[in-house]
Amino acid sequence: MSDDRRDPQDFWYNGKTTRRRVLGYGVSAGALGATMLVPAPWQAAFGQAKPYKIGTSQPLSGAGAAGGKTALVGVQMAVDRINKSGGINGRPIALEIVDDESKPDVGRRKTEKLLVEDRVDAHVGGFLSNICLACMPVYEEHKVVNMIGVCLDTTITTSRCNRYTFRPFDYAPSQAVAFAPELVKMGKRWHIAFADYSWGQSTRDAYAAEIKKAGGEIAGTTGIPLGTADMTPFLSRITGNFDGLFGIFFGRDGVTIGNQAFDLGLTKKYKWAGDGAIAESTNIPALGRKIEGFVGINRYLPVFDAPMNTPHHKRFFDDAKARLKQIDPSGPDPDRYVQSNYEAVNALKLGMEKSKFRGREDTNKLIEALEGMVMKEGDDFPQGDKIMRKEDHQAFLRQFIFRIDGGKPKIVNVVDGNKTLFPPACRFG
Amino acid sequence: MTDKRHSILFWSGFAIVMALLFVSPYVLPPFWQRFLTEVLIWGLLAMSSDLLIGYTGMVSFGHSAFFGLGMYGAAAALLMFTPSLVLALAFGLIGAAVVSAFVAYFSTRLRDIYFAITTLIFSQIFYVIIFTWTDVTGGENGLNFPRPRLGIPGIWSEPFTATTLHWFVLVVVAGSYLILRRITQSPFGMVLQSIRENEPRTRAIGYPVERYKIMAVMLSGLFAGLAGVLYALQNRFAAPDFVFFLISGEAVIFNVMGGIGTLVGPILGAGTFLLLRELLGRIFGENFPYLIPLGFIFIAIIIFMPQGLLGFARRWLNR
Repeated sequence: MSDDRRDPQDFWYNGKTTRRRVLGYGVSAGALGATMLVPAPWQAAFGQAKPYKIGTSQPLSGAGAAGGKTALVGVQMAVDRINKSGGINGRPIALEIVDDESKPDVGRRKTEKLLVEDRVDAHVGGFLSNICLACMPVYEEHKVVNMIGVCLDTTITTSRCNRYTFRPFDYAPSQAVAFAPELVKMGKRWHIAFADYSWGQSTRDAYAAEIKKAGGEIAGTTGIPLGTADMTPFLSRITGNFDGLFGIFFGRDGVTIGNQAFDLGLTKKYKWAGDGAIAESTNIPALGRKIEGFVGINRYLPVFDAPMNTPHHKRFFDDAKARLKQIDPSGPDPDRYVQSNYEAVNALKLGMEKSKFRGREDTNKLIEALEGMVMKEGDDFPQGDKIMRKEDHQAFLRQFIFRIDGGKPKIVNVVDGNKTLFPPACRFG
Repeated sequence: MTDKRHSILFWSGFAIVMALLFVSPYVLPPFWQRFLTEVLIWGLLAMSSDLLIGYTGMVSFGHSAFFGLGMYGAAAALLMFTPSLVLALAFGLIGAAVVSAFVAYFSTRLRDIYFAITTLIFSQIFYVIIFTWTDVTGGENGLNFPRPRLGIPGIWSEPFTATTLHWFVLVVVAGSYLILRRITQSPFGMVLQSIRENEPRTRAIGYPVERYKIMAVMLSGLFAGLAGVLYALQNRFAAPDFVFFLISGEAVIFNVMGGIGTLVGPILGAGTFLLLRELLGRIFGENFPYLIPLGFIFIAIIIFMPQGLLGFARRWLNR
């Protein structure tokens, strides 16, 4: 280390070459090579009929692990149901699960593995938007359909859209279109508090534009860095003459703002509304009484008020609840992540049936079948009807405006999917 | 051994390794071919930090900033202009050089843990800027961009394939290794090693130590930026995660695993770490917490092979 000139002398081999040593090298190299080249036996054959290989990439470890495991429940529910009912086009689904570890570089590498080694026919999943965006070019390169499960970033189906990626659930602009008239009825002037990163910023812009379009005003905006444990310094600066406070947060940040805005009296002084992620069913126990009266918007609510009082929603709910109990003994209600992943697999199934999909060679036919595809409310789509827009591969579906009442969301208004339309802003390369 | 024999041995070994790496795309399945290319890129990042850790005795946690800025510099060139390999390289290197000059100017006034902490803080400052400046950097979502063509402007160009990309990365990494090797064996490199061994004495002899340290940080940052450009070319995306200090931590781990102060060792360390991570995941399944055994392996290497895998290999081969 101290004298680099000696390195070659020390490093390059000058010992004896024996038969035992050569054999040792050979065996080691062979074992390593076999591990690299030969797929593990449990990844091989799946029954008599050649199964469709569907890949799913989820964050099963790292920052997004809790949500990723929930999302995977939705995928597995749909796959099990399809396999029990005879598969797709008579062929079962073999699910290849990879953990993206909540990191874009790992997600990218695992996606390569799914596409190059496992040779999946299509992919369903993706939880964190930054990982979805990092992996989208890989699906495009390998010409494989990528059905997004959770990623909400607006640009996925706008400025960074691609022909192989579909989003079978909503995005911020369509929720803003649906929610803004209701918000303006609640109050004219709004202050927006948002998670200060790409999703929060793009959602803020969408709501600001739609509130103005609906005749309201934006009194101000406050960005709070992601993961801020003490939001008091930011929230204490929110004062002035406005009618309502609108929050754009999710996960732990949703719990933090719910609790701290209540403690500072903001939710009493002003009308309190926001993205449905703040009062997601998994957050409500941590928010307790403090979230009472919150008005939000969500594509899925685990309730049985009309129009969710259907037998197919009941079946979905019961199955999801039982499976979620296996990963979380407290037995949480299913949330929109379970719903969107469940329906994403079913959307793919519907497209594969319509296109008589055989494998990757039929990817173009599958894309054509998915473009403009109408999904009807039923066991496959318990959330409700939806349509996959051809121009940007963005789905439009009904939205539920709800109020938290007695610790539970109560539906106060249902906005039909065709009233959530937002002009397409995608150009496929 | 005579110097001539050293030289013959070195160049023979170098040629064999290069030949093996050159033919690897024909032998390895596509996934492992891409994996090997990625190992070379991470190896270059680790090798760049070895110039500071191994030869100057300065542990830097700022290499993620240099790596990330190289990546974002290349992204800027590929998004603003017609995609060009030369422009991507130029912008990436300029980005890394500017940032490393800035970091070097302030941090080299400090030593030991204070230097390490300062570089860590700088990398976090750049991370926060990139994370929140969404309009320019894409924020948390990063940037996607097209891959440029391989070629010489105005003479010849063709699209990159997995094989030509591997060869391109191989040439850049091998060239960087030879340059860094030359630097460490030059009088400049000797002064760096002298700073590592005894900084006050080096200053007392009359060497402007701060200037040498600034140069070392800048050179190291430049090669880290080059690794960032290569990563951007391979993956066609840039994300703030690569500017986060954990990437610097991984570079330090690659150094310790492979052998500090050897240049080749960090590449070996990167390869071993990434291969173990991949194989543990494959053998025990996706839900296996591979970081736990990997952590134990790392601790075992520190205890039983303090000179890293390369140091251990030397002793074992020569026993």
